[in-house]
Amino acid sequence: MKSGFTLLAAGVVISLSLAGCGASGDAAGSSGDGSIEVQTGLAVDSKLLSTLKEVTNSFQQANPTVKINLVPNSTTYEKDMKVRLASGNVPDIWWTHGWSRDRYSKFLLPLQNEAWATNFNPALSDAMKDSTGAFYAMPIDTDIAGIIYNKDVLDKAGVSVGTIKTWGDFETAAAAVKAHGVTPITVSGKANGPAGNLTDWISPGAYTKDELAQLKNGTFVGDKYKTVLDLVAKWRDQGYFNPDYASAATTDMDQALAQGQAAFIFSQNNRINNALQYNPKANLGFMPIPSLTSGPSYLVGGEMNAYGISKTSAHTEDAKKYLAYLAEPANESKLAQSAGSAPGLTNATANMGAVQASYDQWMTQAKTTLVPYFDRVYLPNGMWNTMVTTTDSIITKQSSVDAALGQVESDFKSLYGQGK
Amino acid sequence: MAETLITKPSPLPATTPPHVARRRRRKGGLVNLLYMPALLLFAVFTVYPLINGVGLSFTNWDGYSPEKAMVGLANYTRLFSDDTFRMVLTNTVVYGLGSTLFQQVFGLGLAMALDRPLRGRNAARAVIYLPVLVSPVIMGTMYYLLFGYNNGAFNDVVTALGMDRVAWLSNSTAAIAIIVAVNTLQFVGISMIIYLAGLQSIPSEYYEASMLDGARGWKQFTNITLPLLQPAFATSIVLNLIGGLKLFDVIKVMTGGGPGYSTNSVSTLIGVVYFDNQSAGYASAMGVVLFLMIVLFTLVLNSLLNRHRLEA
Repeated sequence: MKSGFTLLAAGVVISLSLAGCGASGDAAGSSGDGSIEVQTGLAVDSKLLSTLKEVTNSFQQANPTVKINLVPNSTTYEKDMKVRLASGNVPDIWWTHGWSRDRYSKFLLPLQNEAWATNFNPALSDAMKDSTGAFYAMPIDTDIAGIIYNKDVLDKAGVSVGTIKTWGDFETAAAAVKAHGVTPITVSGKANGPAGNLTDWISPGAYTKDELAQLKNGTFVGDKYKTVLDLVAKWRDQGYFNPDYASAATTDMDQALAQGQAAFIFSQNNRINNALQYNPKANLGFMPIPSLTSGPSYLVGGEMNAYGISKTSAHTEDAKKYLAYLAEPANESKLAQSAGSAPGLTNATANMGAVQASYDQWMTQAKTTLVPYFDRVYLPNGMWNTMVTTTDSIITKQSSVDAALGQVESDFKSLYGQGK
Repeated sequence: MAETLITKPSPLPATTPPHVARRRRRKGGLVNLLYMPALLLFAVFTVYPLINGVGLSFTNWDGYSPEKAMVGLANYTRLFSDDTFRMVLTNTVVYGLGSTLFQQVFGLGLAMALDRPLRGRNAARAVIYLPVLVSPVIMGTMYYLLFGYNNGAFNDVVTALGMDRVAWLSNSTAAIAIIVAVNTLQFVGISMIIYLAGLQSIPSEYYEASMLDGARGWKQFTNITLPLLQPAFATSIVLNLIGGLKLFDVIKVMTGGGPGYSTNSVSTLIGVVYFDNQSAGYASAMGVVLFLMIVLFTLVLNSLLNRHRLEA
């Protein structure tokens, strides 16, 4: 009796608080006003977001009962999404940034039976479809990437990209560029990504098909990964990387490339558009990636801008209608063009601007092989950060190649085990 | 020997009148109700996450999937064989002990200097304390701009002197030292204020009496000031140590934990392992170890400082 009143009061307060905390409801992620929440994953000032807004406005005019709430990107998009998925507060539609199958498929509706799915770009199949042929996002574009170069810098150094067939050729070109006082390869050590791109771009060419299958099945093929890290260490020793590597941001990479202070960048092609903002007259393009074995050069790519629908959305039918609208050829073409990439559906076309000439040269004419991003397909989910930090530790001489390789192997085994 | 009967006075009459007992109960209930909101917030935002975190440390959860499996002590055994974790644990101890040591030395020195009747001492105290009010993110960003390679102020000076730019934050030893220095500079004001309060609580008669016995300067400092500052030491050291062991913001802003993992603290590594490596279970095990480490350091320090205080 002594503390009966207190306990009762405490019980009421706690119950009310916990009820408030756990109020996720059935319509997970839907905005309070009943609109469909779309986590666009796109920066506020991006060209793609403004085109998406335009297309969405015309969709809403045609479907006045459906309200779409486009949410721009945050700098912590991936972390935010993980927290929202863990807490059950899932948006209706979200940007899957290359992970619609391997990370998000358990939360997303399969879309292979939608009418537009017959036009799904087969170049995306390896990266987006599972073993049953199901896929979980509507692709706005098809990401194709190689090694970005500044042609004017290479011309001054007497290098022609057409002659770069092997890593030996690449090193000869890098040495010629360096001899002209220009940084051969610029990388940002401050951003969490560009260092990882180096190993992600080189790795597919270091393995045979059998070895790639072994990786996929959970066996780490370390000697081949070592050849990739050795190559990075060699470039470091030869002084091919930018001296401000550790403190350089991605904008520094863009500026260096645009202003002729660097010759090569290992990155997606959106870096070209970013660099052109600093110098619209820069003569930029991309080239295929040489193989570390005797195989042919290749380009990497797959899913980039794609949108999936939450299984738990209260508006799945309207959300499907919205994605179908985006997938209409005229809209898909507009969106892909804004992204500066090839469309994700075969019945759309896009002028890729500054990237078009390289695309025509290497994809349309030379029919260069397109391979999926190495980390997304052959390494367990969660390995990207390990790739970034271990490559970074080699460039900065914080680790030997063997120590970095040990870290990659250890994380590979534990993350593969965790995913089982 | 005559037997002496001593009866202890009873704190309460054998029987408390019912209306008094009722009033006391009501008063007790009201007091309980007043602290309930704080208790509730503590339970929801500290106790529940702590218990949940300990539970997660025995699972293989990736941080977002609906399913997870129990893995027993696997995450803890992995910690023992993880070279990166060992390195980061060492960094954490360096951040904790390094920041604490320098903050005590400089904090006490500043307190003693500004305890004297100097002109402008209040302004000096305010200036030294001001960085405490600044967010560590802002503090870290300011120093990142000073130590930056391309546009950093220090490198501008270096190049003006005709020397090559220095990649201050690319060398992990230098970067760790810089982080310790920035953290010290930011929070030395707290130590200074604690020691100032301690110094002002020492009666001046002690110093006057010691002067009659011929004690001056160093002797007074070691025999009067230091022993009587023991409570201030205990507070300042424990506060600074906990802050140093949990260091996060400055590291994130200045180096992002790099190059490689080499400047991470356990706090920053937990974020990386939880979100980037998608090993929430393993990150939780790291969190539990950090928690135990802070508890252990605090208990040992408290016990040592209390023993000194009793001896003094």
